[in-house]
Amino acid sequence: MTVKRKLVLAGGAAAAGGAGYILLRRNRLRVARGLAAVGLAARGGARYAGSAPKLFAAAGEHREQLRHDLALRTAEDVTATLGTMKGVLMKLGQMASYVDDGLSPAARRTLSRLQDSVPPMSPDLAAQVITAELGQPPDRLFRAWDPVPIAAASIGQVHRAITHNDIAVAVKVQYPGIAETIEADLGNVALLRKMLRIMAPSQDVPALLAELRERVTEELDYRREAKNQQMFADYYDGHPTIHVPRIIEQYSARRVVTSELADGARFAELTGWSQAEKDLAAETIYRFVFRSLYEAHAFNGDPHPGNYLFRGGGRVTFLDFGLVKHFSDEELRPLIDMVRYLCVERQPEAFRAAMVDAGFLLAQTPLPTEDIVEHMAVFYDTVKEPGTRTMTSDYASAVTRRFFDFRSPLTPYARIPRSYVILQRINLGLFALLGELSATADWRRIAEEIWPFVQAPPSTPMGEAEQGWLAG
Amino acid sequence: MTADYAAAAAGLVERSAAAFVAAIPRQPADDGYFGPGSVTWRMAADLSAPVAGLRALLLQALHPLAMAGVDQHSDWRRDPVGRLAATSAYLATITYGDRAAADRAAARVRKIHDHVRGTDTVTGRPYAAGDPALLLWVHATFVDSGLAAARAFGAAPSQDEADAYVRETRIYASLLGVPHEGIPAGERGLVEYVKSVMPELASTPAAADSIAYLLDPPGLDDEIAELWDDVREAVLATLPGWALDRYGRPAPPALTTGRRDEIRGTLGLFDAVFLGEPGVLEARQRITLRQRLAEQRP
Repeated sequence: MTVKRKLVLAGGAAAAGGAGYILLRRNRLRVARGLAAVGLAARGGARYAGSAPKLFAAAGEHREQLRHDLALRTAEDVTATLGTMKGVLMKLGQMASYVDDGLSPAARRTLSRLQDSVPPMSPDLAAQVITAELGQPPDRLFRAWDPVPIAAASIGQVHRAITHNDIAVAVKVQYPGIAETIEADLGNVALLRKMLRIMAPSQDVPALLAELRERVTEELDYRREAKNQQMFADYYDGHPTIHVPRIIEQYSARRVVTSELADGARFAELTGWSQAEKDLAAETIYRFVFRSLYEAHAFNGDPHPGNYLFRGGGRVTFLDFGLVKHFSDEELRPLIDMVRYLCVERQPEAFRAAMVDAGFLLAQTPLPTEDIVEHMAVFYDTVKEPGTRTMTSDYASAVTRRFFDFRSPLTPYARIPRSYVILQRINLGLFALLGELSATADWRRIAEEIWPFVQAPPSTPMGEAEQGWLAG
Repeated sequence: MTADYAAAAAGLVERSAAAFVAAIPRQPADDGYFGPGSVTWRMAADLSAPVAGLRALLLQALHPLAMAGVDQHSDWRRDPVGRLAATSAYLATITYGDRAAADRAAARVRKIHDHVRGTDTVTGRPYAAGDPALLLWVHATFVDSGLAAARAFGAAPSQDEADAYVRETRIYASLLGVPHEGIPAGERGLVEYVKSVMPELASTPAAADSIAYLLDPPGLDDEIAELWDDVREAVLATLPGWALDRYGRPAPPALTTGRRDEIRGTLGLFDAVFLGEPGVLEARQRITLRQRLAEQRP
C-alpha cells in the first residue's frame, strides 16, 4: 500500500474533516517519474464561464426572455412550481438520467418536461436567499455580482460574482423553501412507491426509494456538497489534468455554496474535437472515477455530461458534488476483491465468494460458478485483458442491458445492496459517456496503475504526469 | 355495468391536454370574459381542478333530466374520453379565450343543445338541454365543486374570493342562455339554490353507470390507473352527504391531514404528467405571462 493510499484512508474521514487530511497529504512519498507532461498541470485562470449553462442549453434568445418573464419571484412561486411532488420528481429525473433503460418512455418525457418547466429565480429572490444565508445582500457581499444566472441547478441556480479580493466565483443559490417542500414530499412514502413502480417498473423499487430519499436529503444541504467538493479539490490539488474548483467557505452556507469559477468547453463541444483530445479527456475522467473510488473511497455519483468542463490536453474540470457517496473499508474490500479475483488472479471461486461477501449474490445460489462469471463478465470487459480498446455506445448499452436483464438465470439470486446502488452509475454513466466519445485506451493498464493491489507503473503520458502529483 | 362504454379511458390525459393546449389563445384580441386578474383564472389552474371536474359530473348526473340528455344524445357512452376532453376544451375556451372565441364556442354549444330534447325514461318527464333550469344546475354544481375541491386539496379561496368566483362565473351560465338575474351571485345564494333542487335529485341507472365509469375508468393507461385510487378517494371525500346517500354510498371516513397530503401529492403527479404532454407547458406559460402583465398594469 502506498503512502498516498494510506493517507487517504487515514483521511477516510476526510469527507468530514478536511484539515488534518490536507496536512497529511503533503507527505506523499511516491517517487515522481517523468515530468514530461507536467506542463499540463498549468491551469487556466478562472474566468467567467461563457458556455451555455446546463438547463438553458437549448434556449434561444426568445426563450431566455420568456424564462426571465416567468421568473420565480417569491417563495410561494417556488412552492407552486416545485411543490406537491414536482421537486421530488425532478430529483428523480436527475437520478434517472443514468438509468434510462429502467424508465418508461412516458416517464422520461414527463421528467424532461418538468426540468424545462422550472424558471430561474428573479434577481430579487436570489438576492433574498443570499441575504438570509450570508447576512448581506450580494451586491455588498461581492465586489461584482451578476444578477442574471449563468446556469440552472436542479434545485437552484448559479450566479457569477467577483469577491472583494478579486476571485471570480460561481455562487449556487438554492430556491427558497424548496428543501422543506421536498423533505415533506419525501415523507409521502406510499405515493413515492407507487410513483417509482409506475416510472421505473424494472427497477428495484425499495432500493431506488431508499437511495432517492438519502441522496435528495443530502443534496438539500449545500454544506455537505461544499465539504465533499473541497475534499475532492484537496485530493486532486496539483493534479496535472484533474481540476476541482475550490470552495470559498466564507460565502457558503446551507442554501448557498460558492466555489472558484471554472471555464472550459461543454461536453457537446468536446464531441467535435479531435479523437486524440477526446481520448485524453476520457482518460482523465476514467482516472478520476477510479482513483476517487479506490483511493479516496469516494464516488461522485453524478457523471452527467453537464458536470464537466474541458480545456484541452485532457484537462477536465469536475463540477457538482451534490451526489457523493463515501465507502467504508468494509464496503470497498469486496469490490476490490471481485476485480482482483476475476481479472488479475483469475480465481473464479474467490470471485464468487467476494460477490457473496458484498451481498451481490445469495450464498446458496444453485448455479455453477462459470455461469455467474459469464453473467458478470460484461461489467469487466474493458479491464479483463491488456490491450487497446475503444469504448462504444454499443458496449455501454450492452452493460446497461445486462444490468437490467431480469430474465437472466442469475436474477433470482442477485441483489444490489443499498450502499452499492450508486455504483451502477459507473456502468450507466461513465461507460455511456466514454462510449459517446469512442474513447480509446488500454484501460486495463490504466486500471492497473490505480488498482490498490497492483499499483503498476505509469502506462501513459498522463500516468507519467500524475507521478509528480502522487509524490505530493 | 360499464361494459357498454365503447371506448376505454386510454388517452384521457393526452386528449384532455391537447384540448387544453388548443383552447389557450396565442394572440387573444382581448382579455375575454374573466381576464388575467380574475379569481376564475386562478381557480381554473388550481391543483384540485381534476377533482372539481369529476365531483361536478357526479353531482350533475343526479339530475335525472340532465343525465337523460347526456345519456340519450351525446356520444358519452361511445366515446366518454372524447366527451370529457371536449367539455374541458369548452371550459378552457370560455375561461381563457378572447370574447369572440368564447362567444363562438358558446353559440356552438347552444346550437347542439337545441337538438337535445326527449323524454326521460325514468321519470317520464320531457327535457330539453337548452332548459335554463337544467343549465343552471350544471353550472351551479360546477362552481360549487370548484370551491369544495380547492378547499379540500388546493389553494383554499378566502370567503371574498369564493364570492367573487361565484359572481364572476355567472357568465358561464348566461352564455348558454340562463337569464342573468337567476344565477346565484355569491356563495350563500349558490348553496341555497343547490338545496332548492335537492328534491328533484335521484340516481337513475344511467347515472349509476356513469359514476361507475368515472370512479373506475376501464382501460386507463397503466401509469394513470395506479394513481386513480387517490383521485377517486378525493372526489368521494368532497361529495356532500346527500349526494353519497342518493348514490347509495357510505360516507367515507374523514380525511386525515396525512392522507390529504398524500392525495395532494398524487394530484401533483397528475399535474406533472399533464405538463409532460406536448404544448401544455407553453400554454401555461402564455397564461402566466398574461397574469404577470396584468399585475404590472396600474
